[in-house]
Amino acid sequence: MSVEVEVNENDLAEMVEQVWESYLDPEGVNPLIPTYDENQPSEVHSSVSITGSWTGHIVYASSTLAARRAAAAFLAMEPDEVSEEDLSDVLGELANIVGGNVKAMLPPGALLSLPQVVLAPEATARFPNTSRISGVYGVWDGEPVSISMWQSRGDNHNKEGAE
Amino acid sequence: MRAMVIDDSRAMRMILKRIVSKLNFEAIEAGDGKEALDLVTSMTEVPELALIDWNMPNMNGLEFVTAVRSDPRLREMTLVMVTTESEQSQIVRALAAGAHEYVIKPFTEGAMIEKLALLGLVPTGANS
Repeated sequence: MSVEVEVNENDLAEMVEQVWESYLDPEGVNPLIPTYDENQPSEVHSSVSITGSWTGHIVYASSTLAARRAAAAFLAMEPDEVSEEDLSDVLGELANIVGGNVKAMLPPGALLSLPQVVLAPEATARFPNTSRISGVYGVWDGEPVSISMWQSRGDNHNKEGAE
Repeated sequence: MRAMVIDDSRAMRMILKRIVSKLNFEAIEAGDGKEALDLVTSMTEVPELALIDWNMPNMNGLEFVTAVRSDPRLREMTLVMVTTESEQSQIVRALAAGAHEYVIKPFTEGAMIEKLALLGLVPTGANS
C-alpha cells in the first residue's frame, strides 16, 4: 500500500520550471503560463510509473504542436524536422525527468519505471484506481501542456479518479 | 579527447553529445551499460570521460561504474553520473562505487560544463 505524499502543485511547478529552464526555454523568454485548467485538451502524452513506498503515475500531456516544439527545442532542430521517433523520445524523457525528481521527494524505497509514450490524448489512457493528487496545467506558446501526478487508490481519495 | 555518452534516451544522448562536441570531445554513444562496457573494453584507446545515466535496461549506470572500476585498464576514465536519481543515498552509492561526479537531470548546459571544468576536463570559463 502506498503512503500519502506531500508533493504539491508548487513542488511540481518548481520541477517543471527547471525542465523549461534547462531544455525548453533556456533563454527564459517562453515559459509555461499556468491556466489551472485540469480539463484542457491533449493530443499526446507520456508517463512513468512509480512503485514501492508510493504507487502512482506521472503524466506529461500536451497538444501535438507543443510536443513537436518541445522536441525541436530539446534536440536543437526545427519543428518541421521533428520525426515521430524524436517526438516519442522527448516526451518519454520529459516524463522520466519529472518522475525522477518526484521520486526523490518520496519516502525511500520507490522505484521508477521506464517511460511509456502514447501519441493519443491523456484521456484515452487508463490508470485504473487512481486519483489525481497534483498537477501543473498551462499553455506554452499558446498550446496546452500539463504535468500531473496520479496516486493509486488506497490512502488518498481526495480528488476524482481516472478509471 | 573522447567522451562516451551512455543513456537509453536517444534525446538525452543528443543533448549530451551536443555539449561535449562543443567542448571538442569526440562523442561515442551507447544505449545502456552493457553496450558501453562492450564498446569500451574493445577499444585500444579508452575514452577520457563517460557521462552515465542510472536507469537503463540490460546494465544500469551503477553496474557500469562498478565494472569499469574493477578493470585496471579503464582506471583513467572519468565517470560522471547524469541522472534523475537525486536522493542523497543514491549519490553516495554512485560516488562510493567510483563515480567522480554527479549531475542531476534536469541540468543546464552551463551547469554541465562547470562540472566538467571542476574535474579539469575543460578549461575554467569554457562556459562563458
